Amino acid sequence: MELWEGVVEAVRMVARADPYLRDVALRTLLVSGSATLLAMAVGVPLGYLLARARFPGRTVVLTAVHTGMGLPPVIAGLVIFLLFVRSGPFGGLGLIYTPQAMVIAQFVIALPMVVGFTAAAVASLPVEFSELLAMLGAGPLRTMWLTVREARLGLLAAVMAGFGAVISEVGASMTVGGNLAGSTRVLTTAIVLEASRGEHARAIALGVILLALALAVNFILTSFQQRRGA
Amino acid sequence: MDLVLRGLEVRFGRSLVLDIGELRLFGERVTAVLGPNGAGKSTLLRVLAGLVRPARGAVLIDGAPVPARVRRGLVALSFQRPVFVSGTVRENLDLALRLRGVPRQEREARISSVAEACGIAELLRRPARALSGGEAQRANLARALALQAPLTLLDEPLAGIDGPARRSLLAELRGLLRRFARSVVLVTHDPEEASRLADDVVVLLEGRVHACGPKSEVFRRPPDAATAAFLGWTVLPGEGGDVAVPPGGFRFGGDGFRFRMRVDAVLDRGYERLVEGAIAGSPVTVPLPPSAPAPAVGSEVEVVALPEAVERFSE
Repeated sequence: MELWEGVVEAVRMVARADPYLRDVALRTLLVSGSATLLAMAVGVPLGYLLARARFPGRTVVLTAVHTGMGLPPVIAGLVIFLLFVRSGPFGGLGLIYTPQAMVIAQFVIALPMVVGFTAAAVASLPVEFSELLAMLGAGPLRTMWLTVREARLGLLAAVMAGFGAVISEVGASMTVGGNLAGSTRVLTTAIVLEASRGEHARAIALGVILLALALAVNFILTSFQQRRGA
Repeated sequence: MDLVLRGLEVRFGRSLVLDIGELRLFGERVTAVLGPNGAGKSTLLRVLAGLVRPARGAVLIDGAPVPARVRRGLVALSFQRPVFVSGTVRENLDLALRLRGVPRQEREARISSVAEACGIAELLRRPARALSGGEAQRANLARALALQAPLTLLDEPLAGIDGPARRSLLAELRGLLRRFARSVVLVTHDPEEASRLADDVVVLLEGRVHACGPKSEVFRRPPDAATAAFLGWTVLPGEGGDVAVPPGGFRFGGDGFRFRMRVDAVLDRGYERLVEGAIAGSPVTVPLPPSAPAPAVGSEVEVVALPEAVERFSE
């Protein structure tokens, strides 16, 4: 049965440190990891502001963010593709079919998740918390730092959701990366390729490795969460 | 510092939660803002602290209007629901003082003396979030007192504490305020708490000030029927207006205002006997003289209110 053969093949590939697998897995981690980190750097302050600031149209923005959390990756990919394709407005940068373009596309996918989860985590803090800081005279940056620090368990959820979404997406990576061997091939696009070639066992093997990677990253984050939550 | 709230209106959405024409609070005293849940007490405290923006009106300190931003730096507010950043109790106190710009050495000195006085010296190294209700209230109080602000604001300082822990903190609180705080405004729903802690009392009912003055005046001569009823008086409709009798103001026999009471129960507590009943629907408890026979449950008896205690409110 091909499912079982796939699992065995996965173990074999890991055991012999298959260079192709190493290349693809490392790129997957690098691309999705950088996209998640960038999304955190931008999304956490945005989520904080969205939870704390009161401005007209806030509900509209919040709704847009929540919708963005379910954005089909292929649409994000298509938009980034049209922006960065040679003939597009940012075509001159020469980023299309590079890992950098994939990072940008995955950043767009992860950002609403990070913003949404951060906003929810900050909003769930008691109102007295921000009142206390205001009364004590904390400045805006200090207030943001102390608040975000307090909401850090929610931020871990944001990382997990964002990373989980981008490491498992295929549509955007395929569209802006082009699945070029040795340059923009990641685990998900490799799986699609193997499956289309009829190499089902190999596709399953790569899938098992992708799951194992996601599992490992989430395990690290979850243990961190449990330790800090205690 | 003397505080005046003038023409103050606070709205949450459409509803008017505070409507204060003029309220004077005197400095170097403890003022209790007393009222039932939802009367607007906490909102009043937040307005003083500059955390809630009134729809209109001003807060004057020593005669001059002071904007909210400046008031925030003059107050130490402890919330009814204690909030702490993650970290130890000491880190929480230290952060508060650091944010107020207190230099390091003084921070340490203040924390030790306040912690000692508030009985939390042993808790300083504990995570603040892991404290019990009573411990958390003490740490909350210690943080407010450590700030040594010109105006200390306490929102239900005994909230969430019961039994012996409550009694001991209630007993210590007055002394702690005298030692560490200058002008104090505290909020409570409990007249007993207000009478034990405060010099002055403000009675707030449904967002309006009903009474304001030294506690002896407010508790002895409530200015209106609603205040009297809130303070536990029995308010009865009489000719030309309401008559209010203070708790324990009814007797069997003697001279005074006479009322018919329906007897619901006779309690024999060994050292005293109490007759429970109702006058015109208002519950009343009257002590029975030692030699008198107990009235039958369901019967009507005559009780007397001492005339010197009774307040009359004309319509």
